[in-house]
Formats: sequence, C-alpha cells, structure tokens
Amino acid sequence: MNGLKEIVIHSSTKNLAILRDYLEKELVIDGISQTITNQIILAVDEACTNIIKHAHKYDNSKIITLKYEKYPEQFKINIQYEGNTFDPTIVNNPDMVEYFSKYKVGGLGIPLIKKFMSKIEYTHINPNINSLTLFKDLY
Amino acid sequence: MEEFSIREISKNNIFVLHLDGYLDAHTSTELEKAFDKLINEKKYKIIVNFEKLSYISSAGLGVFMAFIETVRNNKGDIKLCAMSDKIFNIFDMLGFPVLFDIAKEESTAISNFN
Repeated sequence: MNGLKEIVIHSSTKNLAILRDYLEKELVIDGISQTITNQIILAVDEACTNIIKHAHKYDNSKIITLKYEKYPEQFKINIQYEGNTFDPTIVNNPDMVEYFSKYKVGGLGIPLIKKFMSKIEYTHINPNINSLTLFKDLY
Repeated sequence: MEEFSIREISKNNIFVLHLDGYLDAHTSTELEKAFDKLINEKKYKIIVNFEKLSYISSAGLGVFMAFIETVRNNKGDIKLCAMSDKIFNIFDMLGFPVLFDIAKEESTAISNFN
C-alpha cells in the first residue's frame, strides 16, 4: 500500500462484510500482522456500524468515505460521513459490572474501538460532515 | 464470501446452535430469530458452538446479552463453546467470561448443564 487510498461505501450493514474483506486484503498484502489487521478491521466495522445505525438511520442512500494510509510504524484510517455531531472520543466506557448485572444490551462498539486502536480523533468539519480518524501503532 | 448460517442440533433436551460464517450488524438478526424460536418453544438449555464462526462484532455480542436474562429466569442458560482465539479475545476483552460459561469444547458445555 503506497500513499493515501480511498474506499466509499453506501451506508448499509450488508456492505460491512465487503469492507472488511477489502481491508483485510489491503492490510495483509502490506505486511501488517494478522492480529493487528483483525483489530483494525473490527474497529472500522464498529465505527461504520455506529454511523449506519445512528448517524444515517439505515439510510443506504448516504455514503461513508474511508481514506487510509500505512506509515512505517502506524496505520491511519479516516472515516467521513454526513450526520449530526457526535464525538465518540468523549463517550465513557460502560461499567461492565453494572452492565452485566443489569443485562444491558448495546453500547460496546466504542469501547472495542478504544481498546484496539492506539488513538482516536473526531472533528466536525462543517455543519453536516463528521470526520473520525483511527490510528493503530504497528509495533 | 462466506455469510452466516445456523444449524440447530438437539442433544437430550439441550439445543446446540452451530454458527458458521460471520456475526455482525447485518447477520445478527438471524441469531436473534434463532433465539426467539427456541424461547417461544420453551427450549432454555442452549449451547452456542463457535467452531466455524470466523468473525464477531459487538452486534453479535449484543444478541447474547439480549436473551441471557430470559433464559436464566426460566432455569436455563446459554453456554458458549469452541471459540477460536480470535473470537474468544473479543468476548474476553469486554469481560464476558464473568457472565457467560465459555467452554473450550462442546462436550464440556453439555456436561456443565448436567
């Protein structure tokens, strides 16, 4: 993988598998370990699932643009999408003791992203465009 | 590209769901339907075999959380088994072994019911 690459998907959960398969090929070909590849793929899946479900309300006419690049010691993927402001970086991880005791459902996507990614950045670019960037250290 | 399928096998009033493929936000509804069917049929001793499951996201984890309380309130359980390291790591990262009985082998999960 040399330089910045881009993939655009329609906002539909049926495209998650296509996206995962595509990214896996890209990451493995570029020499990223399977373990780190799996972590990146899961984080991207979780981020896109949240966008599809919450930002786009399953409207598959909307699109998600992913731009990614591998540096010597880091992988970076930026995800841009239309929608209201929502900053996942400030969402607190659930208290899992309470989570399990109350048999809660949902809300585990962001904790998984935070566990597997080295850094997450969010910005709101203009009135309606969000930018979420995931960074993964490769060492 | 593999998708997702479920095969149900009955073993002495224990119902084993064999998952195949990937469990994400798109396919998780199939697992929900499978659990709904079992619960509607009052089948509360459930084992989920992950041997052929290649991927799970939090949407998949959410299905187990959605049904575990009902099943346990009816004196049953959802026991999980035969996970690859990749799949187990996701459950383990979030602390799921605290709530769920996760066995290496299906035979162990069956024994744990008896």
